[in-house]
Amino acid sequence: MTVVQPTALMSGRYQRAFTVAVVFLVAGWHLAGAGGQLLHNRSAYGSFAFQGAMWLVMALAITVGTVLVLRGAPGGRLAWAVAVTALAASTAAAAASPPGQMLAVNWAWGSAGWTGVLVLLRRRFAELAWFLAAEALATLGVQVRDGLHRTDLAGFLAVLAWSTGAQVAIAAGVRALDAAAGQAAAAARSEHAARERAAIAEVIRTARHARWLALQESAVPLVAELAAGTADPGDAQVRTRCAVQAARLRRLLAEGDEVPGSLVHELHASADVAERRGVAVEIETAGLLPQVPGPARRVITDAAIAILTAARSQARITLAAVAAEIAVSFVADTGAAVRLPAVGEGVTIQQQQDGGMLWAEARWNSR
Amino acid sequence: MEQPVTVAIIEDHPVVTEGVASWIRSDPGQRVRLVRTARDLTGLRAVPWPLANVVILDLELSGELVTTQIPGLVAAGYRVVAFSGHSDPAIVMETLDNGAHAYVSKEEGRDHLVEAVLAAAADRPYVTRSQARAILADQRPARPALSEQERQALLLWFQGMSKASVGRRMSITENTVRQYISRARAKYAATGRTAPSKDALLARAIEDGVIKPGEILPYKSFARAGGDLPSEGAPGR
Repeated sequence: MTVVQPTALMSGRYQRAFTVAVVFLVAGWHLAGAGGQLLHNRSAYGSFAFQGAMWLVMALAITVGTVLVLRGAPGGRLAWAVAVTALAASTAAAAASPPGQMLAVNWAWGSAGWTGVLVLLRRRFAELAWFLAAEALATLGVQVRDGLHRTDLAGFLAVLAWSTGAQVAIAAGVRALDAAAGQAAAAARSEHAARERAAIAEVIRTARHARWLALQESAVPLVAELAAGTADPGDAQVRTRCAVQAARLRRLLAEGDEVPGSLVHELHASADVAERRGVAVEIETAGLLPQVPGPARRVITDAAIAILTAARSQARITLAAVAAEIAVSFVADTGAAVRLPAVGEGVTIQQQQDGGMLWAEARWNSR
Repeated sequence: MEQPVTVAIIEDHPVVTEGVASWIRSDPGQRVRLVRTARDLTGLRAVPWPLANVVILDLELSGELVTTQIPGLVAAGYRVVAFSGHSDPAIVMETLDNGAHAYVSKEEGRDHLVEAVLAAAADRPYVTRSQARAILADQRPARPALSEQERQALLLWFQGMSKASVGRRMSITENTVRQYISRARAKYAATGRTAPSKDALLARAIEDGVIKPGEILPYKSFARAGGDLPSEGAPGR
């Protein structure tokens, strides 16, 4: 499981819901609106069979378009193939309508426009505008061929206004909702990150307190005895007690394995040792990091310890979220290559030596 | 010999101002001349013409973030290089969006501040590691689409490699590495709020051949970006 999942998926889910809403709108229009008009005016057409065939072609285009948009944003060529098919069917249906009655009995204009909205919805807005303009021009062309009177032009403009207007409005609305969903997801993500930081701080505080309590029981009395002179460092038994306490201290510091985001925490702990040796260590993160399971973390921190031990004066550790991966890199003046495993526990490690500087990168994929 | 670039430092901690001044003095080419230091922005606002080519601006003056003052400085004809202890990517992005030329964190000052000032004076992009970090972490819906190569160059630069090493790692020349990083920066100049400094940076980038006018799409619908960037597979990008 990765930390980024829930919020990153959010805007995707919203967008899919908007797509489904548009699919229902388009299919509903074609079945009830266009289909109803077609049946109502069936006696008016020269050939009802031809109009019916065009209606089926349009239905097919809508079906293909639906499959495409539900599988993800279609490429330009596929989207336009569907749109052009719908445009051709619409123009053919209009051209086959009886002259003078075209606007009254034309069922196809709206359906073709909605099909365009469906497949071009998430492409550049200009593409949809071109498509709707081409469709209006094609229909106007048919009207001009039949003879254009002033009343026809008024009717044409009325149909254009309400049908194309509604299509543009829906397309613009969905784009606005897409943008809002994206922003909502981004906001949720940053809130999530802030909550996580707070949780980490709390866990670290608790762990520190627990360590402090443990020290009170064991190490503090020994240090007090040494300071008071009641324990003699020359005494082998005292030296053994000191060694045991030192080991306990080290263990206490390394504990707290299940801290969220603990890879950063553990790398800081590894850096502590090098810093005490006078190596300047920088640790930086970029992006929201996925959680890395224990065994993979151990491979990464082992690499860190090997590199930091070899570093002479400086080391930079970065953790970056790269798609579903985490890339932990090390740049240090080791002077020579460091022996590191190439793979282990799902972690792959690469390195490059350049002059005295070593670059190594450990990648772990959360999928 | 070229005229040195004039610079003003706006910084509320005198010791930091002194440090920056010493970096400027120790530049072997003496390419930058410090003409003014101030603890706040009132002095710059008092005169209607720019007092220096570039302003080095501490983002926090007397406990307040001054990122919102950047558009005013840019409109007055200054190029702004932000110099701050705040390396939070969101603040870095806001700083650049408001028209600052570059962002230099306090840790990066010694190595990068003078170079960033010179780049800003020439309207050329300058991308510090902390800026690369902010770009890599950018999740805003309206962020520009970066190519795989641009992203990889930024990642390796952020990780701490020299540009020459980045080139060897990617099997390209150091110059191409600079080109990728500058192009990513130029794409950011084409997004967000408009500012004369961003236009100037973009114009210079086009003139230098860093980016082609066709590559600058001011807004790319993130709904489509998911399909265009297969490696960035998370939905909603």
